[in-house]
Amino acid sequence: MKPILSLKNITKRYPGVVDLKDFSIDFYPGEVHALLGENGAGKSTLIKIISGAIKPNEGSIVVFDQEYNHMTPHISKELGIEVIYQEFNLIDCVSVAENICLGETFGRFVDYKKMYNRSLSIFNKFNIAIDPNELVRNISTSHQQIVEIAKAVSRQAKILIMDEPTAPLSVSEVDSLFTIINSFKKEGVTVIYISHRIDEIFRIADKVSVMRDGKYVDTLQTLSTSRKELISLMVGRSLSENYPKNNNVTNEIALEAKGLYGNGDEDISFHIHKGEILGVAGLVGAGRTELARLLYGVEQIEKGQVFIYGKEVNIKSPKQAIKYGIGLIPEDRKAQGCFLDNTIKWNISIASIKALSKHFIVNRKKEDELSKKYQDRLQIKTPSLEQKVNNLSGGNQQKVVVAKTLATNSNILIFDEPTRGIDVGAKQEIYKLMVELATEGNAIIMITSDMEELLGMSNRIIVLSEGRLAGEIQSKNFSQNLVLELASSEL
Amino acid sequence: MQKTAQLRGQILDFAKKYATIIVLVGLIILFSILSPYFFTVSNLTNVFVQQSYIIIAAVGLSFVMISGGMDLSIGFQMSLIGVTTAALMKWYGVPIPLAIIIGILLGIGLGLINGFASITLKVHPLIITLGTMTVFQGASYIVSKQSVILNLDPAFKFIGQGYVFNYIPFSVILMVVVILSANFILTKTYFGRHVFAIGGNEEAARLAGINVNRVKLIVFALTGFFVSIAAMVLFARSGSAASTTGPGTEFTAITALVLGGISFKGGEGKMIGLFTGVMILAVLGNGMQLIGMGTYAQYIVKGIVFLSAVGFDTYQKLSKQKAK
Repeated sequence: MKPILSLKNITKRYPGVVDLKDFSIDFYPGEVHALLGENGAGKSTLIKIISGAIKPNEGSIVVFDQEYNHMTPHISKELGIEVIYQEFNLIDCVSVAENICLGETFGRFVDYKKMYNRSLSIFNKFNIAIDPNELVRNISTSHQQIVEIAKAVSRQAKILIMDEPTAPLSVSEVDSLFTIINSFKKEGVTVIYISHRIDEIFRIADKVSVMRDGKYVDTLQTLSTSRKELISLMVGRSLSENYPKNNNVTNEIALEAKGLYGNGDEDISFHIHKGEILGVAGLVGAGRTELARLLYGVEQIEKGQVFIYGKEVNIKSPKQAIKYGIGLIPEDRKAQGCFLDNTIKWNISIASIKALSKHFIVNRKKEDELSKKYQDRLQIKTPSLEQKVNNLSGGNQQKVVVAKTLATNSNILIFDEPTRGIDVGAKQEIYKLMVELATEGNAIIMITSDMEELLGMSNRIIVLSEGRLAGEIQSKNFSQNLVLELASSEL
Repeated sequence: MQKTAQLRGQILDFAKKYATIIVLVGLIILFSILSPYFFTVSNLTNVFVQQSYIIIAAVGLSFVMISGGMDLSIGFQMSLIGVTTAALMKWYGVPIPLAIIIGILLGIGLGLINGFASITLKVHPLIITLGTMTVFQGASYIVSKQSVILNLDPAFKFIGQGYVFNYIPFSVILMVVVILSANFILTKTYFGRHVFAIGGNEEAARLAGINVNRVKLIVFALTGFFVSIAAMVLFARSGSAASTTGPGTEFTAITALVLGGISFKGGEGKMIGLFTGVMILAVLGNGMQLIGMGTYAQYIVKGIVFLSAVGFDTYQKLSKQKAK
C-alpha cells in the first residue's frame, strides 16, 4: 500500500535551535498512527508543517503522490487535512451548527436548516446528543471537543490530526471518542493521534512513532511493543520505576472537612493526615475542583466545618487560606497559575511578596534568595531567573507555580491536575517532589484524572460523583475498576 | 562577516527596545534643525511647564491601566476638583491651604466612587467611568454655577506659574516628585507588585492570595489623588476656574500612555515610557507650532504618529511570537 502522506527529510530551524532534524515519516490510509514524544520533541512543529502553518527549511511533503516543498493552510485544507488543536478553534458566541459548517456556503444566503441537518446527521453517526442550535459557549468542554471533530468530518477530512484530544474528557467520553476514531478508520481516514497518555495509545493506535529532540526515533506496531519500551525510546533512557513511594503517613490529622456544602458540592466529609498523599478521583464535573476552591476560599462554604490540625477555621478568601497554611496549585496553569509575561523570579515571589517586604518595600535580596532557593530545589531549568515564564516548557511552568505556592510556607497542598500536559521527564520530577513534600510533613491533596497517577501516587483515595462523596479506598484495595465503579455510581 | 551581522542584530535589538526614546530624540533633533527657536532654554522650559499637568494626570491613569482597568473620567474629575477648590477659595473664603486639601480629598473620594462602582457592579471600569464621567460633569457645572471664577489668588497661582530660585518652575518640580514617587510605588513596594499582578492575570492574582478588590480600590483612590494634583497645577496655571477646563486630558493621557508602552490589557508599563509618550506628543505639538503648521494639520500628524507607534508595537510582538 502507498502512503497517503509522507514527510521527507524535513528540517526546521529557528534562530539558535533546530526543532526538527532530517525528519522522515510515512502515514498510510485507514491507520491510527500515534506520535509520542516529550514536550519539546517537535510534535507541534511537525503538525504545523503538515497543516501549512509554518514552512520547513528543507525537505518535502508528499500527499496523494503529489510532492510539495511546503504546505499552505489553504492547500492542506483542500487536500483534506484537518487539525484539532489542544486549544479549540471554535467561535463561542455562535451556534454549534454554524461552527461545524464554518467557511462553507450553500448558495447565496445562509442556509440554517441545511447547517442544522448536516450537524445533526454527524452527531447521530457519533451517537451523541448535542443540540446544533445551542451556542458553543453553553456546551461542556467535552462536547466542544466533539464539535471540533464534527467540523473536521463535515469537511470530509482524509487526514485527521488530533493533538491531545482526551485532555478535557472524562473516562466515558474518551470511550465514545475512541468509537468515533474507529469509525473513521473503517472509512479509510488516517488519524494522526498525539497524546501523552501511553495507555490510550495502546487502546486506539495501530502504530506508534516515537520522536525525541526533533529527531525521528522509530515506528512500532502497538501490538508488538510495551509501555516500558516506548518510555525508554522517548526519554532515551529506561525509567526504573514509574512512581516513587510515599511511606510517611502519620496519624496526625492535618485537615478535616465535615459535611461541606457549597459551590455545587453537597455533604462532603473527609480528612487527610500529615505526610499523606490523598488522591481525589471522579469524572469531569464530579465536583473535585469545586471542592478545592471551597477549601481554598475562592468560593464560599454554605454549610459545614473545616478543621486544620484540630482547630476549626472559617476561610473566606485565598488570602486567609494561605494564612492557615493551605496552598493551591490550580488546574489551569496558564489561566490561573502563572503570570506569563512576568519573569520567573517575579512569579515565584508574588504570593509571598508582602512577607518579603518591610515597611511596604520589597527586599530584593531576600527575593533573589527565595527564588534561587526554589529554582535549585525544584530544578527549574532556565539560564536565568529573569526569563519570562511564557518562554518555559509546560513542566517548568508548573514548577514555577509550585514554587510560588511553596514560598508561602503552606503545609496543606492541593494539587489540581499536577501533571496535565507536561512531559514524562517533568512528570517524574513532580512526583518525586510530591513525595519529598509529604516526607517533610506536608499533607497533599491530589486531584487527578490520570488513573495511573492516581493509583501510583496516592496513599488513599476518595472518589466524588455528582458533587457528593462516593467512597473512600484504602491502598490495599486500589484498583481501576473500583475507582471507576464509584466514580460512575449514582448517589 | 559574522561579527558585523551580530553587531547589526544588536543594533536592531537596541532600536526595538528603545524605539520610543529614539523617536523622541529624533524629533528633538529634527525640530532643532527646522527652527532656531526650538532648542532654547525658554522654549524647552515652556514645553515642560505645559506638559506637567498632563504627566501628573497620566501617572494617575497609569495605575489604573497597569492594573488592567481604565478611567475615562479623569478629565471631568479635574474639572470638578478645580472649580470646587476655586469656589471654596473665592466664594466661601476658605483659606488656600485648606481649600487645596479639600480638593485633594475630593479627588481621592471621586477615585473611590469609581473603585466602589467597578467592584460592586462588576462591570469593566471603562464603562463605569464613562458613567461617572457624566456625573462629574454635571456636578462640576452645578458647583461652578456655569460661570468662570476669575482672579485666583497669586499664592494659589504659584503652583502653576511660580518659579523656585527664579529658574525652576514649581509645576515641573511637582511633576518630577510625582513621577519619582509613582515609580517608587510601582517598582519598589509590594503594593506595586500587586498592581502589576492584577493587570497581568487577575484570577492568578486572586489565587495567589492578593485581595484584588482592595488593591483596585486603592488604585482608583491613588488615581484620584494624582488627578487632583494635576487639577491644581492646571487651574493655577490658567489663573481662573471654569468647568470646561480639564476635559480632554483623558484622551491625551491615554494616547501618551499607549505610546509609552502601557497597554490596554494591563500588567505592563514603566514611568520612563509614560514620560517619553507625553514628551513625544508635546515636542510634536510645540515643534509643529514653531515651524508654522496649523493646529488641524498637527492633529493629523499626531494621529498618524500614534497609529504607527501602536502598529510597530504589535508588529514587534507578532514577530517575537513567530520566532518562537
